[in-house]
Amino acid sequence: MFSTNKTLIAAAVATLFAGSASAMSGSSDGASGEKINGKYAANYEEIIRAADGKYLDAKVIEAILGKDATYGREGLEGKLDPANPYSFEVEDSIDGGNHGNAQCKIPAAFVEVHDSAKANYYNDSKFVARGFGTPIAESALAKWNIVVDGDGKGLPDASVGMTVEEGAKIYVQFCGMCHGEFGEGAKGYLPLAVDENLITSAFDDPAPMKTVGNYWPYATTLFDYIRRTMPFWTPNAPFIGDKGYMGIVGYILQSNYVKLDENGTEIQDDDFFNSEMLMKANKFMKNQGNFFCDHRPVIHNERCMTNCPDAQVGDGKGDIHHYKQARRLPDGTPQYNVPQRMHEDPPGVGHSGM
Amino acid sequence: MTDQIVEKVAVQTEESRNQGRRAFLKGSAAVAGGVLFTKAASAAEGAGYDPKKAVAPYAGKQELTEVLQDGAARKTLGFGVRKYPYGMPSPFEKEVQRRTLEWLTPDSMASITMTPLQSLHGIITPNGLHFERFHGGVPTINPDEHRLVIHGLVERPLIFTMDDLKRFPSVSRIHFVECPANGAMEWKGVQLNSVQWTHGMMSCVEYTGVRLSDLLKEAGIKPEGKWIIPEGADAAGLTRSIPIDLAMDDCFVAYAQNGEALRREQGYPIRLVVPGCEANMWVKYLRRIQVHDVPAQHREETSKYTELMPDGTAQRFSWYMEPNSVITYPSPDFKMQGPGKYYVRGLAWSGRGKVAHVDVSFDGGKNWKEAHFTSPVLDKAWTRFEVEWEWDGSEAFLMSRVTDETGYVQPPMPQMRTLEGTNNVYHRTAMVTWRVHAWEDGKNGGMIENVQY
Ligand code: HEC
Repeated sequence: MFSTNKTLIAAAVATLFAGSASAMSGSSDGASGEKINGKYAANYEEIIRAADGKYLDAKVIEAILGKDATYGREGLEGKLDPANPYSFEVEDSIDGGNHGNAQCKIPAAFVEVHDSAKANYYNDSKFVARGFGTPIAESALAKWNIVVDGDGKGLPDASVGMTVEEGAKIYVQFCGMCHGEFGEGAKGYLPLAVDENLITSAFDDPAPMKTVGNYWPYATTLFDYIRRTMPFWTPNAPFIGDKGYMGIVGYILQSNYVKLDENGTEIQDDDFFNSEMLMKANKFMKNQGNFFCDHRPVIHNERCMTNCPDAQVGDGKGDIHHYKQARRLPDGTPQYNVPQRMHEDPPGVGHSGM
Repeated sequence: MTDQIVEKVAVQTEESRNQGRRAFLKGSAAVAGGVLFTKAASAAEGAGYDPKKAVAPYAGKQELTEVLQDGAARKTLGFGVRKYPYGMPSPFEKEVQRRTLEWLTPDSMASITMTPLQSLHGIITPNGLHFERFHGGVPTINPDEHRLVIHGLVERPLIFTMDDLKRFPSVSRIHFVECPANGAMEWKGVQLNSVQWTHGMMSCVEYTGVRLSDLLKEAGIKPEGKWIIPEGADAAGLTRSIPIDLAMDDCFVAYAQNGEALRREQGYPIRLVVPGCEANMWVKYLRRIQVHDVPAQHREETSKYTELMPDGTAQRFSWYMEPNSVITYPSPDFKMQGPGKYYVRGLAWSGRGKVAHVDVSFDGGKNWKEAHFTSPVLDKAWTRFEVEWEWDGSEAFLMSRVTDETGYVQPPMPQMRTLEGTNNVYHRTAMVTWRVHAWEDGKNGGMIENVQY
């Protein structure tokens, strides 16, 4: 439905493997010759254990994934396939469109983690509870448990809310001084609605600002987070309350031009914004479907000791005198832990918002 | 010659350690034989320690002749016991501090300080120098009033006092804790000349606490409980989603750090320890663990702590910290003291296990020399390495490269940049380069500068 980068990558993966299936059949065969989905060595565990547990050794990975799916960009794309033993993906997280709650997992190839979870939990038949705690009723946690998850579990019922216009007033009163009246940011605090392009044009360009519209994959996150932590100085404020937080979410989503359905219906000032509307918007967050699970590592170098290849030396082309330097002090010396440096302006390469 | 023999003996001992008792006895015979052989060999070369050899490198250096005077410390009594009921470093160490960069964040309650790695030795970070990262300032929590609740998809929700937790079997382990934004300032190029700025968003301490698997099992996790959502009791109420397999691996709830209670900056009275993983997951001021069926998709795992790739897609749930290493001496805070011998030192660590090798290059990555370890080699902990270097006084480019026990080799920066771009913010774990200026380079002679390929 959405022509996102993620769906494009998923399509590329399909072609990649369709094209290379025959080329891979020779070397990546396990002893049994069995493969997962016709691609990966099914006996990956055996291969890893035979190699002393070195599951990230370049040769081990190649024996399991085959050469094509191992390195660089292709390695990255190959790991969008949940069947790949090195993939963090779970079937339901490849979702380029109206998603449910996406998941990630510990890759099957990380055998020692799974061994340890088995020993400590799944296979622990000797477990006896010690009885050091005190039972507590779930209802006693009514104030503490304010978690809202990606499925919307934990949201207030549909009677709680206010019009987007009312929400905007509360936002301006309690949030605008730090995040800007329109979410543009103020005094160095994070903007909440800036529509910058996330695709890199040049490595030296400032990093794009990532905000609710152009980056956040879930609208549920916004309600959970602002009720949990904002306004910064008085988090979880009773004077705003669930009603007020719901209205603010409506206003922030509106400021980010988040739509409510396939027809591009926009959020209106006089819409009564509640959990039902929030869950509609949750399906149309602009950047959803562009997230994928951890793919690292995708660089598998050999440990070279002498006369290493140019690609691994200096600038990546063998030149060790081609490098970037930090800005210098006015007298030309490199800058160290000096006071005049520490109070200086940001270097202007966009790392705000760690 | 002698060295070779000693090496061989060492290998034999190593092998014998891996064999049974009988083989061990056989092995020790081999060692005894080896030692005898070694002695014979050195006798043939001529007579053990030779004090005359100590003279040579000092020939031609001016001898001091002025009579040394007693200092004040020798002539007056020092201070008595209990002047400092809680001891402090010497005032001469006052430059050894956590530092921050004011332009990084708009205020100090949601900010970070870095550990002065250039001044640390060994693998333990003193509690007062542990890096800080807050999302809502540091609360001062009374441990008598603090509680930990485990609930959600469990048979029996439970609440624990701090005394309850200390009744459980304890574990003490040394682990590094690293903010995934460590090195973030270096994605676009170099910014500042100090290992404190390039790598200081991490520390390594000994934690003591209760195994998380013990606590979760105590509440009776239901099979549909696939995730845990730990939450803090501070203003940030920080939450992350952690899959149950990771929670059951080697996580624990720590109440102590380097032998004393946690510091407030690090989560007093309790914090989660998730060895090898992003420090943001190590929830401080831990008050609640909710067992859940799906991840919560909270702010710290969507808006933040996800990595933007060049094509505009982003990587999420990137839990593990990749293997990494850095040379701390010499590094930009030092100046070379003239051509000659140096013992180059640094730190290596891996979020996936033990460090296996560290290699050091002096020529920008063309050739490498394997370093040895001067500290214990522990799982998911800093490992201190050292390697001898004869500096001839010419310009040099120092880099360190770690290989961990999983077989992963740390990549150079151009390779990481080509693949992952420069907008990730997090997980910049490629090698860094220290340029040593030639000794005859005017006022910059012998300076050490952070440069990036
Ligand atoms: C005193 C200034 C201040 C005020 C007032 C304030 N915030 Fe914030 N806000 C912050 C800071 C600081 C952060 C970053 C916190 C951190 O680093 O964890 C933040 C983060 C956020 C974020 C997350 C942004 C992102 O990209 O991850 C949202 C959303 C947000 N605030 C919404 C609000 C709302 C809604 C209000 C009003 C109810 C509000 N803020 C009031 C300072 C403020």
